[in-house]
Amino acid sequence: MAEVDVGEAGAVAAAPVDEVPARIRRTGLRAVLPWAVGLVALGAGFGLQTQLYTGQERTVTTVLMFVGLAAAWNLIGGYTGYACFGQVGFFGLGAYTVAVAMVHARLSFWLALPLAAVVSGLFAALVGWPLLRLKGHYFAVATLGVAEGLRELVTNLPRWTGGGAGVTIPTVGHDAPTPWLGNDGFYVLFLLLAAVVVGAAAIVAATRAGYALRAVHQDEDAAAAMGINTTVAKVLAFAGSAALTGAIGAAYAFQQVTIFPERLFDVDITVLMVVMVILGGAGTVVGPVIGAIAIAYASEWLRQNFTSGHTFVLGGLIILAVILLPQGFTTYLRDAAATRRFSLLENVRRYRL
Amino acid sequence: MKTRILVGLAATAMVLATAGCGSKGEAKQNSDDSGVLTLGASLSLTGSLAREGKLTQEGYDVCKNVVNNKGGVPVGGRKLKLNIEYQDDTSKPDTAAQLVDQFNDKGIKLILGPYGSATTEAAAAVIERNGQVMADSSGADDKIFTKGYKRTFAVLSPATQYAASMVEAINDLAQPKPKTIAFISADDGFSKTVTKGGADKATELGFQVVDTEYVPNGTSDVSSALTKIKSKNPDVVLGSVHLAEGVAIIKQAKELGVTPSGGFGETVAPPTPDFSQTLGASAENVLGSTQWTVKTKGSDAWFGSASDYAATFAAQFGGRQPEYHGAEATAACLAFVLAVQKAGSTDPNKVRDAMAQLDEQTFFGPLKFNERGQNVSKPMAVIQIQGGKPVAVWPKDSAEAPMKWPARS
Amino acid sequence: MARSLMSHFFQATVYGLLQGGMFGLVAVGFSLVWGVMNIVNLAHGAFVLVGAYLAFTLNQALGLDPFLGMVPAAVVLFAGGYLIQRYLVNLVVNAPIFITLLLTFGLQLLLVNGLILVYTANYRSIPTGYAARSLVLPGDVRIPLGRLIAALVAVGLTVALGWFMRRTRTGLAILATGMDRGAARLMGIKARHVYALTFGLSAALAGAAGAAQGAVSTFSPADAGRFTLYSFVAAVLGGLGNTAGALLGGLVLGLVEAWGGQLLPGTLVNAVAFAVLVIVLAVRPQGIAGRAFYASRVEV
Repeated sequence: MAEVDVGEAGAVAAAPVDEVPARIRRTGLRAVLPWAVGLVALGAGFGLQTQLYTGQERTVTTVLMFVGLAAAWNLIGGYTGYACFGQVGFFGLGAYTVAVAMVHARLSFWLALPLAAVVSGLFAALVGWPLLRLKGHYFAVATLGVAEGLRELVTNLPRWTGGGAGVTIPTVGHDAPTPWLGNDGFYVLFLLLAAVVVGAAAIVAATRAGYALRAVHQDEDAAAAMGINTTVAKVLAFAGSAALTGAIGAAYAFQQVTIFPERLFDVDITVLMVVMVILGGAGTVVGPVIGAIAIAYASEWLRQNFTSGHTFVLGGLIILAVILLPQGFTTYLRDAAATRRFSLLENVRRYRL
Repeated sequence: MKTRILVGLAATAMVLATAGCGSKGEAKQNSDDSGVLTLGASLSLTGSLAREGKLTQEGYDVCKNVVNNKGGVPVGGRKLKLNIEYQDDTSKPDTAAQLVDQFNDKGIKLILGPYGSATTEAAAAVIERNGQVMADSSGADDKIFTKGYKRTFAVLSPATQYAASMVEAINDLAQPKPKTIAFISADDGFSKTVTKGGADKATELGFQVVDTEYVPNGTSDVSSALTKIKSKNPDVVLGSVHLAEGVAIIKQAKELGVTPSGGFGETVAPPTPDFSQTLGASAENVLGSTQWTVKTKGSDAWFGSASDYAATFAAQFGGRQPEYHGAEATAACLAFVLAVQKAGSTDPNKVRDAMAQLDEQTFFGPLKFNERGQNVSKPMAVIQIQGGKPVAVWPKDSAEAPMKWPARS
Repeated sequence: MARSLMSHFFQATVYGLLQGGMFGLVAVGFSLVWGVMNIVNLAHGAFVLVGAYLAFTLNQALGLDPFLGMVPAAVVLFAGGYLIQRYLVNLVVNAPIFITLLLTFGLQLLLVNGLILVYTANYRSIPTGYAARSLVLPGDVRIPLGRLIAALVAVGLTVALGWFMRRTRTGLAILATGMDRGAARLMGIKARHVYALTFGLSAALAGAAGAAQGAVSTFSPADAGRFTLYSFVAAVLGGLGNTAGALLGGLVLGLVEAWGGQLLPGTLVNAVAFAVLVIVLAVRPQGIAGRAFYASRVEV
């Protein structure tokens, strides 16, 4: 999970088109190094586990979940430039697929998990086909509507989903299709899921697929003229992003045991994904990882230390971060390193009116 | 290009450095040596349940003050000062569960429950896993207690009794006796359990349930439900709701001219001071069910009787009268105090066993748990808003005033 | 029976329209900022609440009627909104689009938590002697007075805003800046000032909506998200680029909720409301009364 390549995120002027293929095809050490760094980071994740109390372990597990979620959102929101504001819908859909499969069909979790990914991915492809014609905020509202609608649907199907009362996945005794994994088990599961998502993003970024998505982001008409089937590219990115999100939702449902529609389709979760990606650096591989770790850690620390005013402080910090680093942390660092201009004030001057 | 490699290396180094910090080991125990007994409390201080979370916190604070003013909790010849560590669960079940795990890290094994059934249910699963003990102050949904948990004890009466108590009160006291009842229910688990309990009791007592309408949890627009109910023309409208929906029912019923001949009753909302403050005169005579009133029978060594408790509470909060959210929180804290005292130890297993055998009269009524951990021997009470204040009207032997009928302004 | 069914349906329609007027009142400022500056203001719901709390405080202290309280609430929020845009949002206007979204999200967190710290999370409402009274039409159809006034205010403000935008130099400057900022600046329009004015105007409308909301309903800081969501839906349904769009969208939303609520079991009506939203977007992204320009503009 290192800096592979960085999308332009629409911030800075687009790189000349003919330069990009050369940049994404790499050879020798520079092609291998990012993967090596990613593996080391994964190893560090396992190393970290041995050092934690169970409660800390659970907190870090949540951080890992958000790393995965942010990286998954980055595929559609960062690379492709379609800001999906209903991503939590796929999270909830994955979670409820697992719950329904494990409660009603007695399916093993290890079968339900890929099933959840497939269901979320297919659903995304289905709604994505018409909705991906919309642009910008309109796409955001439409996906928001899909997620909210899903929540209401789940609330109103109590026979299958338990409705507002929530549904409990059997995890103990001979009733349980798969026994609960324990805090250690879930740490590993979420770590691996995060690694899979970040790895997928790295592969996408380094191949033709990523080139196509970034082209769609920068100028959809030009991309189409270059021979990219933009509809297929967008729908695939959307479905892939949704499938990964659904898989994480599935793991979350199993970890929580009892799930409620209000939390599983909580807009706050989507907003967190967006905040993490944008502040970390949209359209980069490491950006969402850094953003997720920083925001999750900051909000947890604030909550523990400012019991009643923590969201006040968090709000202030987000405003500050947005004003000082509007292009995201990684993108700022890359541009600053390239141009040797590190001044944050100069950065502010560039984006103000 | 080199910078990119450097950045990658720096990031890796940071991860490794974090991995090196802190060392895993046995969490420190909440020892008696410190002279302090620390309880952990996960509370909704922000988010959708912030109002109720705050009321719960006040109850815990009263308990802490009173116990410490009397010298602390006697444990085997010594007295431990009571300390409560609060954390904000932001009204989210997953955060509440995470907080319980974090308390466990700090060696805090005795946990005061969060506000609400969803958060309590999430916390209860973790409590069981970690061998902690929880005194549940407000998670009333019966569903929590069907999972075989042995370490969660609810001081309050279960959800099924909330609406049922009002049905009984109407059956006992209303003249002329109404025949038909319509229910308006929020769509969360707790409210639905309440509605089911109320409807079952109504059918059992010979009332006819003419309609049950569902509204979104926490909404302030119940006009659709009221318009539908108006055409069914019920004698009584009972709401199984929270504060926002409860206020909306009375407000919009007035706007829409829904005037059942018997009047209105609502769970949870009317005993809360916000109810009559926001509704003013239209709140008058509305019935409400409550876990506790100043006339609740029983007393204990720490808080005295229910009216003594009210005086203590008022003294601590500038003359404000307590309502049941505060009282049930204090009762949960009291259950721990009594159980620790009885066990003569703060060991969680011993406290759990003492809790299971608890059989005490308190300002909150009897504290005695069945094998599921529910306090079923405690009766619920019914209040009526009279002169802008909730007044106990049922059961008759602990009423402050006779029930007025019809129950509407 | 048929007659009671008729009046039943009529009642649902009337109430839905009034409720829709309320949605429209809340959404009109939101739609303005989105249309002109292409900023989705996630703090809009929080602005509405600030207006409600201001009117509440004035009512408690001076006994000021909440519908009169709309004026001071609007004035205070205009000033606040102007300053926020001028010294905060303007700093990131040239950044990628979702940056402004994040900025207003941070503002939302700050304001809502601030309201809890100042006013606690208690449920409030502003008492009036008349708001819950109703005009009774034949067939026992009721028109609640408070909601009627709120809906009339919504219509009045929408008409006034439309006149302001089309008939005054400032309004035209706002419109021009919204269509092409570069060209507007060449014409001598100070974009910084115009943006701040627009945001202030939107905040003022939110403040007025909040005061009206306080008179007819209860509110607590946790409601901010709900107001923003309704604004979102109403603005999209109605379409951008037309001052009447938000009101129309609100009315449609109100009617869908009222009729759906009568026909559907449980709380399924909400699922239907969102389904309508998604279908409208897929079929006619510019909304009912909006201009196609706003739905297809390339966002920078």
